[in-house]
Amino acid sequence: MAIKDPELQHLQDSSAFADEVSEGRLVTEQMLLNVGPQHPATHGVFRLLATIDGERIVRAEPVVGYMHRGYEKLVEQRDYRQITNLISRMDWLSGINNELPLALALEKLMEIEVPPRAQYLRVALAEMNRILNHLMFFQSFAAELGAITPTFYAFREREDIQYAMESVTGGRMHFGFFRPGGLKEDVPKGFIAMALASIRKVIERLPDYEDLLTGNEIFKQRTINIGLLEKEVAYAYGVSGPIGRGSDIDMDVRRDEPYLVYDEFDFDVCTAPHGDCFDRFWVLLHEIIESAKIVEQALEALPPGPILGKVPRVVEAPKGEVYIRTENPLGELGFYLVSDGGKRPYRIKIRTPSFSNVSALPHVLRDTLVADMIAILGSFFFVLGDVDR
Amino acid sequence: MVRDRLTAEDALERVTGALGERVVEARLNHGQVDLVVEADHLVEVVTILRDDIALRCRFFTFLSAIDRSTYNFDDGGGAGEDKKEKKVGTIEVLVHLYSPEKVFHVNIHVLLDFEKPVCPSITGVFVGAEWHEREAAEMFGIGFPGHPNLVKLYLSEDFEGHPLLKSFKLPARSFVKDWPGAKDPDEAAAGGR
Amino acid sequence: MDIDLTAWQILIVKLLIILTVVPVGALIGGYVLHKEMAHMQHRLGPMYAGGWHGWAQTLADGIKFAYKEDIIPASADRRVFSMAPAVIFVPVLLLFLVIPIDRTLIIEDLDVGLFYLLAIGSVGAIGVLMAGWSSANKYALIGALRSAGQLIAYELPIVLSAAAVAMLAGSLSLVTIVEAQDWPFILWPPGIGLALFMLFILGAMAEMSLPPFDMPVAESELITGPFTEYTGMRFIFGFFFAETAHMIAFAGIGTTLFLGGYKPIVPWGPLEVIPGIIWFFVKTAFMIFLLLWIRFSFPRLREDQLQKFAWKFLIPLSLALILATGAWILYGPGG
Repeated sequence: MAIKDPELQHLQDSSAFADEVSEGRLVTEQMLLNVGPQHPATHGVFRLLATIDGERIVRAEPVVGYMHRGYEKLVEQRDYRQITNLISRMDWLSGINNELPLALALEKLMEIEVPPRAQYLRVALAEMNRILNHLMFFQSFAAELGAITPTFYAFREREDIQYAMESVTGGRMHFGFFRPGGLKEDVPKGFIAMALASIRKVIERLPDYEDLLTGNEIFKQRTINIGLLEKEVAYAYGVSGPIGRGSDIDMDVRRDEPYLVYDEFDFDVCTAPHGDCFDRFWVLLHEIIESAKIVEQALEALPPGPILGKVPRVVEAPKGEVYIRTENPLGELGFYLVSDGGKRPYRIKIRTPSFSNVSALPHVLRDTLVADMIAILGSFFFVLGDVDR
Repeated sequence: MVRDRLTAEDALERVTGALGERVVEARLNHGQVDLVVEADHLVEVVTILRDDIALRCRFFTFLSAIDRSTYNFDDGGGAGEDKKEKKVGTIEVLVHLYSPEKVFHVNIHVLLDFEKPVCPSITGVFVGAEWHEREAAEMFGIGFPGHPNLVKLYLSEDFEGHPLLKSFKLPARSFVKDWPGAKDPDEAAAGGR
Repeated sequence: MDIDLTAWQILIVKLLIILTVVPVGALIGGYVLHKEMAHMQHRLGPMYAGGWHGWAQTLADGIKFAYKEDIIPASADRRVFSMAPAVIFVPVLLLFLVIPIDRTLIIEDLDVGLFYLLAIGSVGAIGVLMAGWSSANKYALIGALRSAGQLIAYELPIVLSAAAVAMLAGSLSLVTIVEAQDWPFILWPPGIGLALFMLFILGAMAEMSLPPFDMPVAESELITGPFTEYTGMRFIFGFFFAETAHMIAFAGIGTTLFLGGYKPIVPWGPLEVIPGIIWFFVKTAFMIFLLLWIRFSFPRLREDQLQKFAWKFLIPLSLALILATGAWILYGPGG
């Protein structure tokens, strides 16, 4: 039997081996387990090199870049209007939220004023997309732990909301709807009623889903005190969004530095103190309720008026730099836009939430069990497009 | 938790007060503090920003780089006026920090020599900089002495070149096609796409 | 009518019965699984294969698998790899030998029927280990080790609860056990009967690696655990058929031991007219429904939690129940 571990080489000789075992010590070797890049539990092509000792992970190192498309280079060679559709495909579960920082950055640099109707509608659509995103992660987390049924309930709820968004934008996942200055077009008749009805259905059924999982003893055993992420570590890695708030980081761009018209709405920011999988999941579920509140307030107070401000014929940002950040469903999405005049950006640094969140994984995965690794990966709510850009 | 929110001017004052001689330049840009710092002082500056009681910039937003080699510095845009000679043809490392309690942002620009860009690693101060520095290293060719594991993050091991440098041309887009649709709202209204 | 058959001919007839009934039962069971799961998840399930509500879905799946290429990984242990599915499937077939469908309809009425069932039921664990180890795949190995630990741990609740039933009935022969049962079946002895039934169900679910005990085949982690490298007919026989047939077998055993087998639910005149076979199928169908229902509703237990649950809770409980059953027999009503 060939022993690969250098520390145990002295046991190659079988008599030494017998001595070692008979003295009451069990000889074990660490195994290098490759989780991914193709694996059902990692949402997408994500590879985790785990060194395991039995069922315990000694060290886990994520290997990313399988989906790297070079966004930061691609946007340097595109017109500002062409970029909108491109960047929508980063975090593909929050399509419309990805278009927002670019529109906001251009509006700031070009000093364009956006009419209130457009602002309210932007808020409503962005929050509806947030609900879609959170429902998706709700079901994927449950499915990874073995509860396959919530998947179908979540997709049933998503269907209605996606239908409403399709009636406005024409898309179910990638929208291409936000323009610098406002929206592409106004909403059709009946949209408000449809949107409100779909949101209310979600809220009605949410307590059931919560009970189904958070009340379940097995679920609690699999998630409480698993995958602890301490607050200071989270700050150092730049962890934001539901994951950060699950570690007691009380940060929400919508409340701290309101963009669009978020300062006119009444909503709470949910945080949870422990930083384990259960807390992150709990924050996710409760954010759905808060988003629904915002959508209701936005659509009920929707003012009439134009949906596009005064935008010059050619979209050319003046010289300057600005960092605009928004609260993407998964965390803080920021665009550092460097413009030197001209129709194309000089450089956009895209700060994606999942990149920072996933970089905290090695810390969280130390000394956990293999089965817990799946729960932790699921509770980290990341999208590969966001990690790899 | 927002403890005591600072206005942008207050933030600038506190930052320059705490850092003193270590910054080359400090100003406000769209409500955010913009600093230009020498590479040697970077680690110190970042540590002070993080630990100073009045500042507490504990949230590490990102670290990236900008290749200014073809930037049009003509009318004094960007971070810093009147530094045209020093800045033309440089690469700069950009660190962005945020203070969750005081709600203010700090952009730190570190100007590096274009031929051999080297910037000390801040992984000792913010652990999360690890991946960001790896990406900046492979995309721009910047060295980060002090980094624990400076291997490629996104690109394959045998990839040659540094993609985000302006000198790296994308083969498919060596010329840029004009926007195919209507170029302004009038054209669009008249029936163009 | 007197049919005179030699012992050999009887044997062949019995084998043919098992070899036809069990796969057909597994096909129907698989269809029921798809449909029940679908309706509980707000969707329809198979609708196209065969025309009416997709009744031929599992049959079509089986035929498809027969066409698949038989791949054995290069570094796998060929002989062990090929034999593992057989070691898993054949014992499941043999379980059906002693389950009484009606008073006289039983393939072989062994005097030690229950003992035979429990013994044969445990052979499958070796097959799982063989499959996982010979696959030369780390995930399969993890799955096999988890499975082995789980199967050993959960044998005991099944064995002990079955033993308690045998104590109450006074025999190991399954027909005698059914005859000894009377309305109200699992509610008697009070408390003990229900507890034994629960133990049996939990043990059975773990034996078959059904959620919430499906760590070994945790789909989102280990793909199919020990069977990851299997394709085609080996996969179908070792995994799918075995699981479904096993479920039917356990449902049948559960019916026999706890629900009164082929006896009518209530000893009420008009119900006695219905033949025992129908009662048996109704009760078995109910057991299958119950097992599947639990299957779709719960997330899975982590392996160490599963083991803790077995060793620290279920086994002490089953030992306590054996004592309670003994006390009941000696001092309780009925003597």
